[in-house]
Amino acid sequence: MIGAVLLVVLPFFGAFLLPLLHRHYPPVTYWAGPVVLISNLVIALGLWYGVSEVGPQSIIFGGFAAPLGITFYIDPLAVLFVMMLNAGCLVLWLGAWHRRLHEEILILLITGAGCGLMLSGDLFNLYVFFEIMAVASYGLAASRRHGPDSHAASLRFLLLGATASSLGLLGIALIYALTGTLNLSHLAILAPSTLHGPVGLAAFALLLIGFGVKAELFPLNTWVQEVYATSPPRISALLAGIVSKLALVVVLRLLLLLYSDTSAHLLLLTVGLLGLVSAELAAWRATDLRRVLAYSSVGQLSLMAIAFSIPGPAGVMAGIALGLHHALVKPALFLLTESWQARLHELRGLAWLCRCSAFAFVLLALSLIGVPPLPGFWAKFWLLQAGFAAGGWYQTALWIVLLSVIIETAYLLRITRLLFARQASPRFCEPPQRRNLAPVLLLGGVLMLVTLSVAPIGDGLRRIAQQTVDTGTYINYTLSAWQDDKSHWNSFPTRRLTP
Amino acid sequence: MNLREFAGLIFLLGLGVLLIAVLTTLPYSNSLTGVGNNILAQAPAEVGTANIVTAVVLAYRGLDTLGELLILFVASTAVGMILSKAPGTASVTPPLSNTSTGFVFSAAASLLFPFLILLGSYVILHGHLTPGGGFQGGAILAAAFFIPILVSPASPFKHAVSSLLETVAGLVFIGIGLVALFGSGYFLAPLGHPGTPGALLSAGSLPFLYLAVGIKVGAELAGIVAHLAQP
Amino acid sequence: MLVEEAAWLYVFAYLGAIGLILLGLYGLVMSRHLIRMLLGLSLLEAGVNLFLIAAGYRPGGVAPILTEATRGLLMVDPIPQALVLTAIVIGVGVQALALALVIKVYQAYGTLDMDALTAHIAAVPVARSAPTSVSAEEASP
Repeated sequence: MIGAVLLVVLPFFGAFLLPLLHRHYPPVTYWAGPVVLISNLVIALGLWYGVSEVGPQSIIFGGFAAPLGITFYIDPLAVLFVMMLNAGCLVLWLGAWHRRLHEEILILLITGAGCGLMLSGDLFNLYVFFEIMAVASYGLAASRRHGPDSHAASLRFLLLGATASSLGLLGIALIYALTGTLNLSHLAILAPSTLHGPVGLAAFALLLIGFGVKAELFPLNTWVQEVYATSPPRISALLAGIVSKLALVVVLRLLLLLYSDTSAHLLLLTVGLLGLVSAELAAWRATDLRRVLAYSSVGQLSLMAIAFSIPGPAGVMAGIALGLHHALVKPALFLLTESWQARLHELRGLAWLCRCSAFAFVLLALSLIGVPPLPGFWAKFWLLQAGFAAGGWYQTALWIVLLSVIIETAYLLRITRLLFARQASPRFCEPPQRRNLAPVLLLGGVLMLVTLSVAPIGDGLRRIAQQTVDTGTYINYTLSAWQDDKSHWNSFPTRRLTP
Repeated sequence: MNLREFAGLIFLLGLGVLLIAVLTTLPYSNSLTGVGNNILAQAPAEVGTANIVTAVVLAYRGLDTLGELLILFVASTAVGMILSKAPGTASVTPPLSNTSTGFVFSAAASLLFPFLILLGSYVILHGHLTPGGGFQGGAILAAAFFIPILVSPASPFKHAVSSLLETVAGLVFIGIGLVALFGSGYFLAPLGHPGTPGALLSAGSLPFLYLAVGIKVGAELAGIVAHLAQP
Repeated sequence: MLVEEAAWLYVFAYLGAIGLILLGLYGLVMSRHLIRMLLGLSLLEAGVNLFLIAAGYRPGGVAPILTEATRGLLMVDPIPQALVLTAIVIGVGVQALALALVIKVYQAYGTLDMDALTAHIAAVPVARSAPTSVSAEEASP
């Protein structure tokens, strides 16, 4: 399975090669990114086909079998989000004429690290890839050349992110002190006896802090409105739409493999609910469009966290649907509002100046709210369905989710009313430039396609969720070589799994 | 004391109580770290290094080392991007003076340079035999190159050379990994014979990996400090 | 007796690590000066690294280097040492980037106070005086 390794190594190779190429053939710099992304997409499609036919695969690095070496686990969930990452970066490349060498390198590194994050099966390896992604995003968030505001916002982002990552490393240290291994499937075997006590749950809380900054979970999301208001809109689109989902999927993996059937689910639910309520209220009170979008993105990610905290495949399916839908809608919204960077009251009557983009904005907002038959409705519907079926605290949570949908409708419709007001013409806004409209139209087209084919997509997501929740297969496939030769491993308890 | 500080103090107290409670329940025996035991048992025969931490860093967890290299690469790229002057804008800070900071300091700095290079190269090349390795030796090499910057902050630093070294060393590291991938089917598998632990030429391709790591880290750290010294 | 000695060593190492972590977090949370916050971050990372190494200690173990002197002796766990190597380098990278950002922020605002920075960021988007200044600002990619 060379392909899975190339998914990670090719962007890194490209990133190393770019400074050399830029010195000798500058035009190559513009095309290097898409070449790598397209080849990654082709490899991912091949892997998707292979995984659907044959089943999940597992590869090892360095020739040392798990749990000594590092393993990658290739299942439909991982390949799906790898495709989302690469396709998203490719769409955001359209029209980025002024992108400089350093930004291209950082985006390639985010791509490689994101692919590794989805595929990896080792706890510390996840931490390393996560840190690569984090440091690259601190750098990208500061990339607006003429304004110091983005540097200040990126510095605050960095301080919060580095602190949280150190606490996440402390969680990893606790898990290592309790179990002695870092391989996720080995940990899954040892978890019920070692990790399900209070110390293990403390380790999960610390890990949630560590990954929660990028996943924009409460209360670590104070950086979101600052960074998205000051950085270039393509970078905000990348961070909000694509990178944050990867962090939540990692949290899901940890929850499923290490902490299933514990109160870790309730911790994630609480964090998600608090984040949802605070974000939607803040969005309602925000006074400029970029901040409204930033808080709305926090709210959607909290919904995804609530969905992932529901035990069982239904919650996972709802979470994946919410994540993919947000990855379609939010980048388009950020790109649309590139030239609408003003206080809300200054947007009055903008729709009559640029009809096409106002129409696109209304469509995307309706999908975000969840109006049928747009995909946003289906994602939220599956979430409500899963929560209702789970019962207990989840049913109480559903009322809060419905309340948040009402608040969301209120502020998005308020903006729409402002856009279509007839009184004053906007003073400080221009129609979006053509280079931004192309990706928006592309994403809008995909949204329409998804609207028309919700049923087969729903079935596919249901199957992916079933396979994700099946941790027995994960453990079997990753540790199969190890389990056959048990002469070394007598020093700690093991449990043979039935396939 | 405002709300943020109060909330921070509460979090701090909670974390302190939690960590001390954790302290009382952590296992103090070594029966659980089975993976470490097995690496200690197998590494000399399988990998051939006398320094078993090197075996873990480069062979068992080679992908983490690649990630580590990448983090330094990301940091140096981001620092270069943030601190590069936009063409045409004047520098806001007054230019740093080029006057020397005293005869003793600059003489001692020039005297130290060859010794630091020697020590750094020794630590890199003997990384598989004694405590040390690419990262540690690379940091010493970088120190050799930024002591002149400490002596006179406006001294010129050839960013082009350090960038070229960085790039080539990184490509060599990934190149060795790809050769292993297409050769034996596993990325970053150790190539060559393990040899006898303790000999200078042992552990196959691992000393070359550490050499690439050392040069890359040295070039990158020196470049970062040069960027920071001349913003 | 060996077990009791080992327990004390563990306790001291862990207490030291926890102390560093709490000191670093205190510096990060309570101070408003940017450089002090960066120093707090360094302390926090040092504390976490120490915790990780202490988790790999074996009572009576020596460093995992094979030499004539250590032949046959019990060795400590090599995995946390490799992990801490990576974690230290990650910390260095993050601190370098933080210092670069601090330099830029100081050049632009002339202050190193966190509250002043928050006020600057909260004022974005700044009120504009003329409509034509919009296109000049939007020169970003």
